[in-house]
Amino acid sequence: MNKEIDVSVVVPVYNEQDSVEPLYRAIVSAMNELDYNYEIVLVDDGSKDETFKRAEDLAKLDPRLVVVKLKKNYGQTTGLHAGFHTAKGRMIITMDGDLQNDPTDIGPMLEGIERGNDIVLGWRHDRKDFFISRKLPSKIANWIIRKLTGIPVKDNGCAIRAYRGEVVQKIPMYSEMHRLMPVITALSGAKFTQVKVKHHPRVFGHSKYGLSRIYKVIIDMFALKVTFAFFNMPLYGFGLFAAFFGLISLMLMMFGLVQYVLYPDLSLVTIMGAIMLFGSLSAFMAFLGVISELAYKTGSIKIEKLLKYKRFGK
Amino acid sequence: MNSKVDLSVIIIISETQKYDDIYSLHQIYKDSIDSAGMPYEMIYVTDGESANVLQDLLSLSKSEDNMKIVKLGKWFGFATALNAGFENANGKYILSLPSYQQINSIDIPNIINSLRTDVDMVIARRVRSLDTGINQFQTKIFHRMVKKLTGVEFNDLGCKVRAFKREVLETIYIYGDQFRFLPLLAQNHGFTVSEVIVTQLKSDSEKRVYSLGHYLQRFVDFISIFFLLRFTKKPLRFFGFPGLVLFISGALLGLYLIFERIALDVPLASRPILLASLFLIVFGVQLFAIGLVAEIIIFTHSKESKDYIIEKVINSKSEVDHQSIEID
Repeated sequence: MNKEIDVSVVVPVYNEQDSVEPLYRAIVSAMNELDYNYEIVLVDDGSKDETFKRAEDLAKLDPRLVVVKLKKNYGQTTGLHAGFHTAKGRMIITMDGDLQNDPTDIGPMLEGIERGNDIVLGWRHDRKDFFISRKLPSKIANWIIRKLTGIPVKDNGCAIRAYRGEVVQKIPMYSEMHRLMPVITALSGAKFTQVKVKHHPRVFGHSKYGLSRIYKVIIDMFALKVTFAFFNMPLYGFGLFAAFFGLISLMLMMFGLVQYVLYPDLSLVTIMGAIMLFGSLSAFMAFLGVISELAYKTGSIKIEKLLKYKRFGK
Repeated sequence: MNSKVDLSVIIIISETQKYDDIYSLHQIYKDSIDSAGMPYEMIYVTDGESANVLQDLLSLSKSEDNMKIVKLGKWFGFATALNAGFENANGKYILSLPSYQQINSIDIPNIINSLRTDVDMVIARRVRSLDTGINQFQTKIFHRMVKKLTGVEFNDLGCKVRAFKREVLETIYIYGDQFRFLPLLAQNHGFTVSEVIVTQLKSDSEKRVYSLGHYLQRFVDFISIFFLLRFTKKPLRFFGFPGLVLFISGALLGLYLIFERIALDVPLASRPILLASLFLIVFGVQLFAIGLVAEIIIFTHSKESKDYIIEKVINSKSEVDHQSIEID
């Protein structure tokens, strides 16, 4: 291949044998409308059905279709990660393999990247899912994430996204990180914009996520927020907590003293216990600060590596 | 160094553990590995506390040219010894053999040859018909528990006869007592692990009576393996749930006490239940904070872990070997 690839469309699929071919055709017809050199990277995340065989058959006829077969089912994040490793494009599109995203949205999203954004997020303004089981939990989760991180992402769960190539390679991808990618990149200073996208109801297969996702997403998001907030000052960060609990302990001490002076007959046992509990919690927090300092120091991921993006074009 | 070695046989012998006479053991192993017809080397790993073993090995090595001896300063457990032996291994296949005859040696070639297929790791499974009833029962319980906890079914994690490809130990770092669980960790990572049925020897079937400490250790192993398999990537999900539950119940209890104080005029100072409420809050905060520190560790170290195995790439544009991609 001597022509440089402009766009890589990365699609992780898991047990989607019926969707593979329509998906491939939809992407090809959408991409042919645009004037880009492209490849499609289909990541088979250890499917148990005929997904790989059907993708392989398509790939035999079209060298632009790259199929990556993973050894077992690792989950969507790892599927994307493997896809990013294989992708050669200077712009990367990700989308779901279940035909709920529409490849015709790719054009406007790529435009967003060309205008200088690092990430363009899809936003399903008209979702075709059940309200109670899918839309409501997702609405609540998105609201909490917005409040928690202060980053106005409207739809964290939307899989169709466009990235500048280098951005994607810098993000640590593990567990279910792909949901948090917009937030990670925004926290580390990337420019993003959001584009309204179409959303189709599911035709084949059934959706694979449940309600417990809210807990997971919020917990993960909180962890991420703290990890970023403490990056350059772990001791200070935990120190704030230490100071807070220390202050409570101190106030209780004063209260106890006053009580002892004014009413010497009242029992001090409870208040003494409370002083010691909060005092030890304060010390505990300070020591955790020291431990996290160690973690940041010995870890290979440094904040500046996440921050610096090489830009080309305008 | 002999670069034509395909198979490295690692045999760990320590005087702190049970072992057979070295000369006869060596001869038996050698004869059966020879019949597999694969160029091999033997690597013996021993430790500073085993002077007699070392002496025997040294005199044995005078007449052998494909034999290496690795001596550790101290016995740090089986996994450490294996890693030390592995560092000196040149073969693309590794076979680990126990220091006493656990299985009939005629089965060894069969195990070695299973590696020539797609399988990444082969573990010997003894048919335990010679064991005493109580030992059979223990084995059954142990493996049932493993299956419950991890969802993976293995039938003989105690057998030290295992063969695997180099990549397995290059990808998965084990320490302490984890050799026992290597098949679980390997399978979880995506390697193909299979069992080969072997016949048990009479010498292996003596009644084993374990101390209480042994069972305690097994139990701790369970917990660590459970955590390793399920929550290493997302520790806050593990710590966060009990943390939140404790915190919220403490806070609710506290609110109720304050309500009682204000509305019903029950004095607070003399109530130990207030301490219980504060204790729950403090404990909850601690659990949550520890989970956060664990998250920080995982995030900052995340690029060091290798996460997945690619089986095949079609129409790849790069010449990079995709067999085991590292997340650098």
